[in-house]
Amino acid sequence: MSVEPFNRLVKLAARAFYDDITTKGENQPKTGRSDNRGIAVVVLDALTRRQWVREEDLAKDLKLHSKQLRRTLRFFEEEKLVTRDHRRETAKGAKIYSAAIAATADGQQNGREGEEKIKLHTHSYCCLDYAQIYDVVRYRLHRMKKKLKDELENKNTVQEYICPNCGKRYTALDALRLVSPEDEYFHCESCNGELVAESDKLAAQEMGDGDDNARRRRREKLKDMLQKMEEQLKPLMDQLSRVKDLPSPEFGNLHAWELRANAAVRAANGDSSANDSSKSSQGLGFGGTPMPFVGETKVEVAFSGIEEKGEDIKSENANSPMKVLPPWMIKQGMNLTKEQRGEVKQESKMEGTSAADEYVKAYYAALLQRQREQEEAAKREQELLNTNISNGLNGTFERQVGLKSKRDENDEDENVEWEEAPPAGNTGENYKVDLNVQADASGDDDEDDIDWEEG
Amino acid sequence: MFFHIVLERNMQLHPRHFGRDLREKLVSKLMKDVEGTCSGRHGFVVAITGIENVGKGLIRDGTGFVTFPVKYQCVVFRPFKGEILEAVVTMVNKMGFFAEAGPVQIFVSNHLIPDDMEFQSGDMPNYTTSDGSVKIQKESEVRLKIIGTRVDATEIFCIGTIKDDFLGVISDPGAAS
Ligand SMILES: [Zn+2]
Repeated sequence: MSVEPFNRLVKLAARAFYDDITTKGENQPKTGRSDNRGIAVVVLDALTRRQWVREEDLAKDLKLHSKQLRRTLRFFEEEKLVTRDHRRETAKGAKIYSAAIAATADGQQNGREGEEKIKLHTHSYCCLDYAQIYDVVRYRLHRMKKKLKDELENKNTVQEYICPNCGKRYTALDALRLVSPEDEYFHCESCNGELVAESDKLAAQEMGDGDDNARRRRREKLKDMLQKMEEQLKPLMDQLSRVKDLPSPEFGNLHAWELRANAAVRAANGDSSANDSSKSSQGLGFGGTPMPFVGETKVEVAFSGIEEKGEDIKSENANSPMKVLPPWMIKQGMNLTKEQRGEVKQESKMEGTSAADEYVKAYYAALLQRQREQEEAAKREQELLNTNISNGLNGTFERQVGLKSKRDENDEDENVEWEEAPPAGNTGENYKVDLNVQADASGDDDEDDIDWEEG
Repeated sequence: MFFHIVLERNMQLHPRHFGRDLREKLVSKLMKDVEGTCSGRHGFVVAITGIENVGKGLIRDGTGFVTFPVKYQCVVFRPFKGEILEAVVTMVNKMGFFAEAGPVQIFVSNHLIPDDMEFQSGDMPNYTTSDGSVKIQKESEVRLKIIGTRVDATEIFCIGTIKDDFLGVISDPGAAS
């Protein structure tokens, strides 16, 4: 249950801040038809139900023109709510994504296979950046409050001075001319009277002219606004504090996400035929067939875990110079850093292979039950949209941490190796070894898969 | 904020400078005339860094002076609202304090000094916190934010605040000694 609070945060923020946003091409006439207010909210809501999504597909799902969607997304990219990724790919390359999307069981995404063009197309993908959204919303609220409070407290306003004798007004910008060598006060230029700072309430009341009434009215208005803001944005602020100590969901960059999702589906289906497409796409990427655009293959290590412990970072660093080593060596090295010597490796191997099967079964049962509970809870929440679709990955993962933290570590290690190994050009041998380990260890991911299909 | 810009000026030169080093004369006169001046539009001219070109001279009727249009590069300093500056305090009084950031004068009125700082009169008037740990007096260095500027044709005056995060004294002359 770690995505759900964040999704709620996104929805609240969308309604609070982006309700009346219109995204228009500059040359479009302002007609009633082109008024697309509310689209922003719809798009954000749709994104809470997805992870990485190809923008064309999203446009299709939302029945939006892709140009209009892109404008909205570009706006959200600028607002730092959404990360986008663009890449040139063949129809085959797009399959990696399609396989990944199939792995997350968002069933409608299969229509791509017919296209077998060799031409490269630029496809754009987008995904919510939850960690950043949390920061952005907090910052926005902070700025709003600060601005109002500053105005209320006359901060950043130019101080005014009045001569009590002749009523002449000065501002702080005249200060240089008003200082007197004799004492520590400002003096009137015409009558040499001692000036009084106007924000001193007494002076303000004495001089109670129309100008001043306006100022008082403005103060009232500001106070009112501040109060209204506190009231109306309370749900949002509550949600922020609720989310505060939760680890934010991370999907990694597009590439890492695809790898993970495809790995999950492969793990789920073992060697069954259902999985051909993802397999072939994997083969294309890593089995030695040259990819036409290697530049896109980022060797970034993405952890399926949501926590970013120092440990993880360390292992990343430790890994990069050792790329050429066989993966199991790397694992040993990593275990060494955090636990004892060689025995650990043995232990983890054992667990990775034998315990996993049992674990998967037990876990599956538990998950089904939990999911039912979730559904009921979701109904009760009376959300506009059925939101428990994308609870899967991170939610279950967190569970797992609670159940068996040891295995979790191993699992992450496996992920690391598996993604690191292919770019290093390892032979099929290592690759296979890896693959098995991955398949066993990521049993939990395969549960996610099922979770989504039913949800 | 500093800018490196190109400006143009018509320079009048007395005929007695006409000769081999006419150009040098022109440049040295330009420096003397321009550096340290202030224009409301561009700010303070800090330094001339180069001459772009010197146009054809035009003899003025009656005087014999010749006007040369000179294009020159220079560094200018112009304060902006919202800009953070570091400045040296030049005068402290009951109404606030004055400070200088290079050529710019800045006034910080007492309502823009944090509320926990009280004015203390005496030989060395100052603003001090109740525990005496922070003190603003003449020669103190402060970091301030400009909240208003008055730009005249030949003068720029600013008002600032130190009532915000990370603003205030950055070095205390009393503490250093
Ligand atoms: Zn007066």
